[in-house]
Amino acid sequence: MAKHKTPLIDQLESGPWPSFISDIKLEAESRAKNEKGLDYQIPRDVCEDLLGVLELSYKDGRTHWKHGGIVGVFGYGGGVIGRYCDQPQMFPGVAHFHTMRVNQPSGKYYTTKFLNDLLNIWELRGSGMTNMHGSTGDIVLIGTTTPQLEEIFWELTHNMDTDLGGSGGNLRTPSCCLGQSRCEYACYDTQELCHYMTLHYQDELHRPAFPYKFKFKFDGCPNCCVASIARSDLAFIGTWRDDIRIDQGAVKAYAGGEIPSNAGAHAGRDWGPFDIQKEVINLCPTGCMRYEGGKLEINTKDCTRCMHCINVMPRALRVGLDKGLSILCGAKAPILDGAQIATLLVPFVKVEEPYDELHDIIGKVWDYWMEEGKNRERVGELIKRNGMQEMLKRCDLEPIPQHVQEPRANPYIFWREDEVPGGWKRDIVEFRKHHQR
Amino acid sequence: MKFRVDGSVISLNLENTIKDRGENTMAFISSGYNPDKPMVNRITDIGPKKYDQFYPPVIAANKGKWLYHEILEPGVLVHVSETGEEVYTVRAGTCRLMSVTLLREACGIADKHCGGYLRFTTRNNLEFMVDSKDKVEPLKKDLMSRKHKGGSYKFPVGGTGAGITNIVHTQGWVHCHTPATDASGTVKATMDVLFDDFQNMRMPAKVRVSMACCLNMCGAVHCSDIAILGYHRKPPLLDHEYLDKMCEIPLAVAACPTAAIKPAKVELADGTKVNSVAVNDARCMYCGNCYTMCPSMPLADTEGDGIVIMAGGKISNRRSAPKFSKCVVAFIPNEQPRWPTMTATIKRMVEAYASDARKYERVGEWAERIGWERFFEKCEIEFTHHLIDDFRDSAYYTWRHTTNFKF
Amino acid sequence: MAIADEQAAKDTIVEALKKKKGKTKFYLKDYYKMLPDEKLMDVKRLVNQMVKEEILEYWSSGSTTLIGLKGLGKQHATEEDE
Repeated sequence: MAKHKTPLIDQLESGPWPSFISDIKLEAESRAKNEKGLDYQIPRDVCEDLLGVLELSYKDGRTHWKHGGIVGVFGYGGGVIGRYCDQPQMFPGVAHFHTMRVNQPSGKYYTTKFLNDLLNIWELRGSGMTNMHGSTGDIVLIGTTTPQLEEIFWELTHNMDTDLGGSGGNLRTPSCCLGQSRCEYACYDTQELCHYMTLHYQDELHRPAFPYKFKFKFDGCPNCCVASIARSDLAFIGTWRDDIRIDQGAVKAYAGGEIPSNAGAHAGRDWGPFDIQKEVINLCPTGCMRYEGGKLEINTKDCTRCMHCINVMPRALRVGLDKGLSILCGAKAPILDGAQIATLLVPFVKVEEPYDELHDIIGKVWDYWMEEGKNRERVGELIKRNGMQEMLKRCDLEPIPQHVQEPRANPYIFWREDEVPGGWKRDIVEFRKHHQR
Repeated sequence: MKFRVDGSVISLNLENTIKDRGENTMAFISSGYNPDKPMVNRITDIGPKKYDQFYPPVIAANKGKWLYHEILEPGVLVHVSETGEEVYTVRAGTCRLMSVTLLREACGIADKHCGGYLRFTTRNNLEFMVDSKDKVEPLKKDLMSRKHKGGSYKFPVGGTGAGITNIVHTQGWVHCHTPATDASGTVKATMDVLFDDFQNMRMPAKVRVSMACCLNMCGAVHCSDIAILGYHRKPPLLDHEYLDKMCEIPLAVAACPTAAIKPAKVELADGTKVNSVAVNDARCMYCGNCYTMCPSMPLADTEGDGIVIMAGGKISNRRSAPKFSKCVVAFIPNEQPRWPTMTATIKRMVEAYASDARKYERVGEWAERIGWERFFEKCEIEFTHHLIDDFRDSAYYTWRHTTNFKF
Repeated sequence: MAIADEQAAKDTIVEALKKKKGKTKFYLKDYYKMLPDEKLMDVKRLVNQMVKEEILEYWSSGSTTLIGLKGLGKQHATEEDE
């Protein structure tokens, strides 16, 4: 028997897509039965009350949560988000309902042993509800009380060899695509670099260091499956510098319709026979390819590595061998000064231990931002405010045409005095010798 | 915990409440942590467990050696290695908000079919991997056979290729203090409407749908093919009587990104003068940052809150540069529990795109080719003044600066 | 390159915080200003050290982090039992 009547949210149980309402009810039922005889450390009917407060929000069209900023684990500035219900008498089970962000393993592979151990902790000490995963990439444990925070942290670190993720003005939990573990496009080991950087910058991840949040994301290729180019202050995107590797036999097989185009991604509709000229050559944004006499040619110098041809014919075309990554900076969601897509900073870096070049850039970006960034100003907004030139200067990078989509259209160049011969101090007396008043 | 009812301060002790209800009495189980000596035996700064401890054997053996992949059918991929080995992946949708019980069921499936390994994707799908083709069908069948009591699938197979995969989203009314709508509910309603395309690949290109429940976008939706965005339209309420007691006024003032809040003396109905704040309503962008700092400035409003729909963004560098999503519907009221106007609008956009776009063309590329004026026509969406950009410098670049347009 | 006299630096911070009226929580940047001669990274380290020593405490908005003297501020009354 349900504790609260929930006629509105019950309507979200039908339909084919997995119902979160059914799932919360599943957990409520499991806690009510308590077949394992657990001594639940937070109210046993927490999920019932979660359904109750959610129903109230569906009735009101308004949220019933309040933020809390003090809660956290000792010595960490991030990893816990405080939540309180604004109707605690009606729903005492969710009066405290804090979130913990747990740092996911790079690439989000798990053994069931690890997951089950984690689930056991969370069943005992929390609501039993999770997000797999949160937007930034963490495992999110939703809903526990203040006294349980330290207990959960203790169990995570002592028994699971796992730490909390980032929140607040910290380095946020870095995340990556699955990379070379299961993708032929990956130009570097995204999981390794993500894991390495996460460990290297633990202090920045757990304790406030910056004017605002800072995100690293690692994408193995320009397809950008973890959205690094849209969502991270520093995006590390795999790329290559040499020729796309071509298997001419396989190209012919594609051209002859023997292999489905785009790895079979378009199989749900009859698009007609595959036409390599129309679907690959003509759609190449740089026009750097031709297919003549059964032979595909790519002019590498003109290629911008957009991946279209590789995506369409993955069995025939492979990324080059001289692989590395491009670093782009400053992407962010709209708050405050409008959304930004990342800006190219370093066109190419080889990904080699001990990653000196990467540390060097990260250090310079942080130094500049910590010094000049205003409170709650993302690094992308700082670049906008002070100009790309200043960013390049602070990173000791030579400006190159690759840094811009196009050169400026206005001539209002603010010259530095040392760039102009003789400087700005001039002698008016000398001038007047040649020009009357 | 203390909170206030009718102006008085009530102290509510959580444990007492539980005991009062007579059922949930519990004994505190210590993990080993000693609150009096938090630093003793404390472990910190260890980061996550190393990823390679979680690789299925076929992944561990073939990492970096993959030659190519193919989508065999919706939700099923094969990756082929230069060693000749293959890994078959079956992808299943989840609603992101998952219970311990459901996750244990997923683990059970992974134990039964996949040697105890599984992974999650960036878009909240589950991936079950097996090392030979004959293991695919039983796994698929098993996943599709599991349903919730209400009838929905627990692990629907799909989400690949030129189809519509899972919607990434935020917390909404389940857990957030500044949402303008629910996240899980709008996503469930939308995915129910788009479900056929989760299990099909008839789209011209992949369609990425995202949801964020307020403009802070803790789930960034600014580069998605279709984005659902919760949006407030009213400045915060001001609880003058309590504001100075519950909040540090300078923090509330500093919280505002548009400097719309200033300290103010306010006279209450009974004549008492109190310190509080004043909000310049015209400058308020309804972000709720002040409510985060100050519980006396709540933002939520039944009529004010609703949905913005955006379209045409992308993150991939394929063919054209990554693009921002553009606002195409300025406001749709919250129609919980199923948001029919919102889902109908999204469905119309998807169908117009599916029937009109060329193969490989993303939603944004299609809209740019046919022109945004045609986009509104084909999607049967009314264009309103709200959709013309007026925010700072970038607005100018979005206006029409040519005689080339379509009637 | 650490701060030469840590105790003096800590005292400076505590003194500066006690002088602030009506506000108990500050961004890390505000602490840089209290110790203008020190390197930013060193100030950051010191401030975080003072949290460990229970002189200061964090307050998180979720997206940003504020730091103030432990136990001060109206949020304590509205959030948690003391």
